[in-house]
Formats: sequence, C-alpha cells, structure tokens
Amino acid sequence: MPSAAAALLDRLGRPGGVRLGTARVEAIPRLATGLAALDEALGGGLPRGRLTELAGRRSTGRTGLACAIAASATRASETIAWIDPADALDPEAAAAAGIALARVLWVRPRNRADALGAAEILLSAGGFGLIVLDVDAERTGRAVWPRLARAAERTRSVLLVLGSCRAAGTFAAVGLELVARRVRWSGGPGRLVLLDGIDARVTIARSRVGRPGRALVVRQACA
Amino acid sequence: MSRIACLVVPDLAVAAACRADPALAGLPLALADGTGPHATVVAAAPVARARGVVAGRHSVAQARAIATDLVLRPRDPDAERSAVRALVDVAASLASRIEATPDGAVFLDATGAAHLVASEAGFATALVARAARVGLSARAAVGASMTVARLAALHGTEVVAAGTELGFLAPLPLACLAPDPALVATFERWGVRRLGDLARLPIAEVATRLGAAGAALVRAARGEDERPLAPQTVAGAVEETIGLEYALDTLEPLFFVLRALLERAVVRVGLDGIGVARLGLALGLDDRSRDERVVPLAAPTRDVKTLLTCVRVDLEVRPPRAAVVRVAVSAVPDVVRAAQLGLFTPPGPSPERLATTLARLTALCGPGRVGAPVVVDSYRPGAADTAPFAPTPDAGEPTARESDCRLVVRALRPPRPIDVFCDRDRPDFVRGDGLGGRVVGAAGPWRMVAEWWSDVGFARDYYDLELTDGGVYRCYREGARWFVDGVYD
Repeated sequence: MPSAAAALLDRLGRPGGVRLGTARVEAIPRLATGLAALDEALGGGLPRGRLTELAGRRSTGRTGLACAIAASATRASETIAWIDPADALDPEAAAAAGIALARVLWVRPRNRADALGAAEILLSAGGFGLIVLDVDAERTGRAVWPRLARAAERTRSVLLVLGSCRAAGTFAAVGLELVARRVRWSGGPGRLVLLDGIDARVTIARSRVGRPGRALVVRQACA
Repeated sequence: MSRIACLVVPDLAVAAACRADPALAGLPLALADGTGPHATVVAAAPVARARGVVAGRHSVAQARAIATDLVLRPRDPDAERSAVRALVDVAASLASRIEATPDGAVFLDATGAAHLVASEAGFATALVARAARVGLSARAAVGASMTVARLAALHGTEVVAAGTELGFLAPLPLACLAPDPALVATFERWGVRRLGDLARLPIAEVATRLGAAGAALVRAARGEDERPLAPQTVAGAVEETIGLEYALDTLEPLFFVLRALLERAVVRVGLDGIGVARLGLALGLDDRSRDERVVPLAAPTRDVKTLLTCVRVDLEVRPPRAAVVRVAVSAVPDVVRAAQLGLFTPPGPSPERLATTLARLTALCGPGRVGAPVVVDSYRPGAADTAPFAPTPDAGEPTARESDCRLVVRALRPPRPIDVFCDRDRPDFVRGDGLGGRVVGAAGPWRMVAEWWSDVGFARDYYDLELTDGGVYRCYREGARWFVDGVYD
C-alpha cells in the first residue's frame, strides 16, 4: 500500500514539489488554412476560439485567401458561416475556389451594425468551425472587438475578420497583412491577353500564439 | 374475437378548460354557454356540483347565489376540440384503428395489442398514463364491444374479460345507457330497472312493442354494438387552440399563452417519438380578421424553447395588426433528424440551436438573406441565390484540389456605372465611385450575349482592367454605358 501511494505521488507530483517554469502550456487547437507554407508559418493554422484579422487593400487577394481557408475548412467537414454585408460573395467563384457551398451559411446583413450582431449570434450558437466576417474593419468602432474576441473564446470557431487594414489591435490573436506584389497577365503584343492571377505577399504582422514577422508569397490563379 | 378499448374523459368540457388553464384545477368551476347572468351553466366541476350547482338546470345568476365562490368561465369549444384531438393522438400512439365519437369518447381496436403491452389491463393503464401526459385525466377500459368498453371505463373497471360481459352489465342501472325518457317510463312499468333485467327480454317482442329504439337498448344491455368500429384517419398536424377571455394587445402575455400551447403540442407530437417539422400559427384578431403564418424551422425538434424563440422572432418582426383574441398552433410532425456524428469529423451546430440561430439571423437580416449560397443556372455573371441551410455530414463535395488558392471576384451588386475614356478604342482611363486611375493592364473584350429570349436580356463587352489605384476590375460596356460589376480580390 505505501508503495502504491508513493507511486501515485511520484506520478501526480508531491505537494510543494512544483518546479517553477515547468508548467505545461496547453496547445491551442488550430484550423488548417490549406496552404502548407502558411500553416507552417502559423504553427499549424489559425487558432480556434480566437479572432484573426486578414487585412489587405483592394485586389491583394484577401477574398481569395479567405476562400482558400474556407475551402480547407469545408474539406475537413466543418460548417462555416460567411457574413457579407456588402453582398459581395459570388457563389460560382466560391465553388470554383473549392468551398462546399452546402456547408456555408451565407448571411447578408443590411449594414455593418447588423453584421456585427450576426457575428455575435453565430458565435453564441457554436458549432461553426470558421466564421468569416467580411466587414471593413477600419470603419468599425473599437468597442466591438473585445466583445467579439470574448465571444469567440467560448467557442471552437475561428473568427476571421476581413478588412482593408488591421483594426482589432490587441484583441486579434493573429493579424495577417496582404500586399499585392504584381498582377500577372498572360499573352502579350499580338497575342490574346488574359488575366492570369495575382501574387501577394502575406506577412504575419501579429501573432499571440506564435512567432510574428514571417512572410511568404501566395500565388493566386484565375479559375 | 375482437377487443375494443375505450378512452374517455368524464366532464370533458371541464377537463378541457382545466387543461387550457391549469390554475382552474380543483376550483369550484362552472362553464356557461354565454357571459350574461341569464346564461345557462352547461358544465360544472365536481367541487361546484358538491355545492349544489347543476349543469343544465341553473343559470349563471342562480349558480352564483348557490355558491358565492363559484368560478365561472364561458365554455370554450376550441379547447374541447383540442382536448379530443389530444385523446385521439394518445389512442393513435398505441393503435392504428381509432374512432372518435362526437361526445369525446375514443375507441381503439385493442386486438393484438399484446405485442405492445403485456396485458389488457396494462394497455388501459398505458392509455391513462399517456392521456395524463397531454394534460387529461382520462379513464380507459377494454371489452368485447364499444358499449361494454365505454360502460367499463365510466364505471372504473379496466378489463371486462371475454364471456363475462353479461355479468358485468347486469347490475348497472338502466340510466347508464341514456335511454329516451318515454322508454324509461315503460321499462319502469315493466319492472325493468337494471341492464340484466333488460338483457333477459326477447328482442323481437320488445321491437314489436317499443320499436327499433327498444330493440337497440336490449342489444346494448347484452353488450352488443349497433355497428362495428368505424376507423377514422388521424390528421397529420397536431393542433392546439385557445380562445382568450380578453384581447391581448402586447406580445409578452401572448408568449405565455403560446408557451402553454406549444408545450401541449410538443407532448402530443412526442407520443410517437417524432418532432415538430413545421409550425403554423393562426391568430384570431380583435378586428375579426385572422393572422396566419408559417414559422420556418431548420430541423424537426421537440424543444419548446427553440420553437418559442422561432415564434417570438417571427412575431417581433411581423407583429399582428390588431389585438389577439384566439390562438391556434398547428404543429406538423416529422421524424427528428438523428445527428450521426463521425469519429473524425467535427461536430456542427446542433439542429435545435441552428433553428434558433437561423430564426434570429432571419429576423436581423430579413427573409431571403440567410441560407446556403447556390450557384444559379444563369449566364449573368455574379448571379446568386440562397437555399435553406441544412448541412448534413455528407453535404457537398468541394471541387478544388488541396493547396489551391484561386483568385476570386468580389461581386458589386448592383453594377456601378463608371466613366471610361478610351484611346483608339482601348480603355485608357477609368473614373467612378470609389475607384479610378489610368489603365495599366487590360484584357478583353469578350462579347457576352445572353437571355435575349427574355425581357432582361443583355449584350455586353467584358474587360478585365488593372488601374493605377491598385485594383483589378471586371468592367463591361453595354451600349454606350460602362459599368463595373466585380473586383478581383
């Protein structure tokens, strides 16, 4: 009996025997983006239960990258939501990007305030692996972000906020910034010219769950 | 040999009133056929009867004089119909051949019920227990005929074994068959006071002297029915109705009424182990009009809270145009979706939570703005539609390969007009709302002519234009005018 008790104490730790600096950090579950290089840079994907910002100006491939992440989520049988107050999602383009549309709840609020309300409703419902909030974050009041970040913490959802620039500040666990490097055109003089795609540089501008500062180039091709 | 069960609620009108308003149970309740002092009391609860109130004899004023603490309510035919429908649902949960009579008794074919319940007594007990679940204190009995089963139920006997019908009926008074008063007087003169005395009379002789009505009474006294059980079709939808004493002009008290109705409807639906797939709401309004609506549900459910939330959201978005005086809830049942989760697939939103969430989102965004996106079979670029959102584990297979990153178009709905300045018929400079600059890259035009067979046909020349503002746009020329309908992003 004493030996059993000693074995248990050895296994569970003796009172007062805790060594500082040995606390085990619980791994944050991740949602893979589907882009191997980006997943590797992020340490496995976007952190669940956190707010992630994806910022980039017009034609930097922001929506394309969000679609790629959404496609990866639906490939993993996740149910996702896309909050789209601008009514900008093109189902045909989304399907071509690989999103299983039957797994997408497309919410089209009439204004930005309703979009933020919809995000809170979806976060409180739970069960959505990814919630894309396609609202121009720059024009959104600062008070919103702590509320959304707290709501996301109670779920296993990735709250992905799209915008022209990062606005959530410290309430975003990850901030990705996109800068277009060049627009690719095929063909040339005397030949048919076609839009071939966009090369964008993705920088991990902020990361509370990994190492920020890494950058990589994402090539986005026309369907 | 066939066996018939009877499920009956004594004082159905009183029981229905107490079911609609449980606070009335145990009170000296009397129901009148009107609201004035001269209205007649048509039903009285046992407590009221014990104080001397007699249904059919006393007026409201007389009843109040007899029992000063009498609780008087107008009779509610809607509540009685709902109670009878609830009894039918109880019967339908245990038998397939059912007949409901106008007086509220429900007969079931109990032949072969042994595979459901071990004994006939157990069958009767199960019926009573299920009736209690839908809020009715019923009695049940099993016998060889409808007459025997009904009399057994009313006199507190659960089972009348085959071959003992005459012995069971013999001591019962003649009045329990509710005969015509003229016939009763004749039988009194003959010294016939009990069913046993009546059963011993020769039918042919009685028919000669008293006609068909007399012969029918003799057959009933022997436990024989005039006709066999006539099974009826049980309606699919479960309805619960209540007439309100006064008009409700705010939503909050209406939700209290709706909660009680939904709870009762869900219990009835749950008797068959199924859920509510669609919810209909019919409100009788104070201006004598009706407000009928169908409340959408994402999935069949038995969760009253979910149903109430969906109804609440719908009523808050589209409130009735007048005060409500009558409420009817119609629940269409269906099999509750069994959520089969995979070992390695992530759990999605639960059907109940999803129904509530969709209702709240629809209330926030408006109808048609929440759902699964659908690719429309159209030549028009950017055409979009939504379908009801109901994800299943095998819903939709993605098309793109892993690690694909496609350039997608952000649609601009509706297309925005722009000014395009051309140089030798090639776009050179673009100016519009929120965009503008010199063209640094261009592709096109591509001629698109479609839907010419309809009123909304179009003929467009499409261009992809890269501007110095950094944007890559999908523009088109239609006639002399230019538009932008998408941004490559």
